[in-house]
Amino acid sequence: MQMKSLLAVAFVAMAASAANAQQMVFTSWGGTTQDAQTEFWAAPFTEKSGTAVLQDGPTDYGKIKAMVEAGAVAWDVVDTEFDWALQAGKAGLLEPLDFGVIDKAKLDPRFVSDYAVGSFYYSFVIGFNPANFSGEAQPQTMADLFDTAKFPGKRTFYKWSAPGVIEAALLADGVPANQLYPLDLDRAFKKLDTIKSSIIWWEGGAQSQQLLASGEAPIGLFWNGRLAALQADGMPVGISWQDNITAADALVVPKGARNKEAAMAFIAEATSAKAQADFATKTGYAPINLDSPSLMEADLRATLPDAQTANQINADMAYWAEHRDEIGNRWYAWQAE
Amino acid sequence: MLSFLTPARRGSGLGMAMPALLLLLAFFVIPVAGLLSRSVTEPVAGLQNYETLLGSATYLRIFFNTFLVSGLVTLITALIAFPVAWALAIMPSRVAAVVFAIILLSMWTNLLARTYAWMVLLQQTGLVNRILMATGIIDQPVQLTNNLVGVTIGMVYIMLPFMILPLYGVIKKIDPAILQAAALCGATKGQALRRVLLPLATPGIASGALMVFVMSLGYFVTPSLLGGTANMMVAELIVQQVQSLLNWGMGGAAAFILLVVTLALYALQLRLFEGRAR
Repeated sequence: MQMKSLLAVAFVAMAASAANAQQMVFTSWGGTTQDAQTEFWAAPFTEKSGTAVLQDGPTDYGKIKAMVEAGAVAWDVVDTEFDWALQAGKAGLLEPLDFGVIDKAKLDPRFVSDYAVGSFYYSFVIGFNPANFSGEAQPQTMADLFDTAKFPGKRTFYKWSAPGVIEAALLADGVPANQLYPLDLDRAFKKLDTIKSSIIWWEGGAQSQQLLASGEAPIGLFWNGRLAALQADGMPVGISWQDNITAADALVVPKGARNKEAAMAFIAEATSAKAQADFATKTGYAPINLDSPSLMEADLRATLPDAQTANQINADMAYWAEHRDEIGNRWYAWQAE
Repeated sequence: MLSFLTPARRGSGLGMAMPALLLLLAFFVIPVAGLLSRSVTEPVAGLQNYETLLGSATYLRIFFNTFLVSGLVTLITALIAFPVAWALAIMPSRVAAVVFAIILLSMWTNLLARTYAWMVLLQQTGLVNRILMATGIIDQPVQLTNNLVGVTIGMVYIMLPFMILPLYGVIKKIDPAILQAAALCGATKGQALRRVLLPLATPGIASGALMVFVMSLGYFVTPSLLGGTANMMVAELIVQQVQSLLNWGMGGAAAFILLVVTLALYALQLRLFEGRAR
């Protein structure tokens, strides 16, 4: 018993010092993305506000739920998938955002909701290793991505249930882009079945790069930023923007966050034109602030999903938020079959 | 190695075990009880989570995969670890210390780094396939990752120390004179191994096998990276349910089934071992 009360005292002391020292916790997915968020969002924020930003990660939806339920929320701002954010907002896991502090007039309306604003957005694009497809026609369309006769070899896709691969399968099967939703899951899985034995799943950006660069999977569907990073490293990478599918990450504040005010101010800074432009310059992901592109160099802007709106499909985040569980259960069961 | 399990010592010293027991109560027993209660209350009260898990071919296959992989890993680990432990026991102690350091060093390296290393080695364009092709053993790269082969190789490598250490502890205590006696009595080398050495080493094999099997049952990182989704194991299912789908009822039910199986195996081993000790 004595030990328990001792622990309790220690926890209270820690919590108190955290509140006094003007600091907050930002949680994201780690890797180069979080490095850039630290450099271009957190550092300028700390300089302006005097509030230190502690970095934590990786983002874990189970942890957010556990923290909110236990009333002990250690994370103030979290980078999540946008469809999850919409669902979690409805489920009561998030604080409504304070748009008195965050200027939403300047933000891309595709990525603004009561509980979440975009963190950055990206496109799923077809990437391939040109060495494997030299001479022949190079893969261009989603149909090519699913055509193992014309373009032999393993293909790599995002492992987790999320917007992107289902849409790609339907497009490859001939569904017109404007009739994707509501998603015909039966048709999508049937299409995926045709190449199932050729699929290698990637779980994170680094793995997707490794699979492509090594030639293990000479073709696949990737986050555009990861391909841009490979190109920046001097790797020859083929990219097709045909039917690129956009999805976004979101910034959210878990319900009951300890430093709510600091959290809102942090989000305001992170979504400001300059912070978004700097982040995009570094990562190849697109800014969600409408004023950011004009702050970026022209040749860089050309590599962003922003410049590819002609063949672009916006994954329907509201649809995904509503059907996330249903699709997820089917997705994982299908994978394990 | 397992002398603390002998009946004479059990029961006494409970007071000294109190801090550890309290810690386990607060940070293990209570959360597990919470998880169990969620599995029968979320999303609605009842046993439907268990019905779904045990009534679907897909989920049953995941459980089957889990036992298949764990069993394979245990078997192969034992086959490799036995000669290693035996060699360690009869080596000059200075050499043995170096070999031990090598074995333990691998345990101190980050698990993720080790698993990625295997991924790079085993993939179709990896070192193993390239050597096999260069030497003309194969013409086409062999599929060594994203399947059962990859998971098994990766996990055997990670589990080896957990088998070698208890085996070494037991074998080291076997008096070499016993084997000489067996030879003097006319036993061939094979007979000495089967009828003398193996029976004496059984407690080590049993405790090593139990540890490896139980750890394998709950393994996540290695199966996730080196196995395909068709070889999914229960830990991955639990992670999906808890982290991605926030379906804690289902995750709890899967975890509870795994826990029951593990405890049953532990009870069985304890029983067998006690029978031997008496």
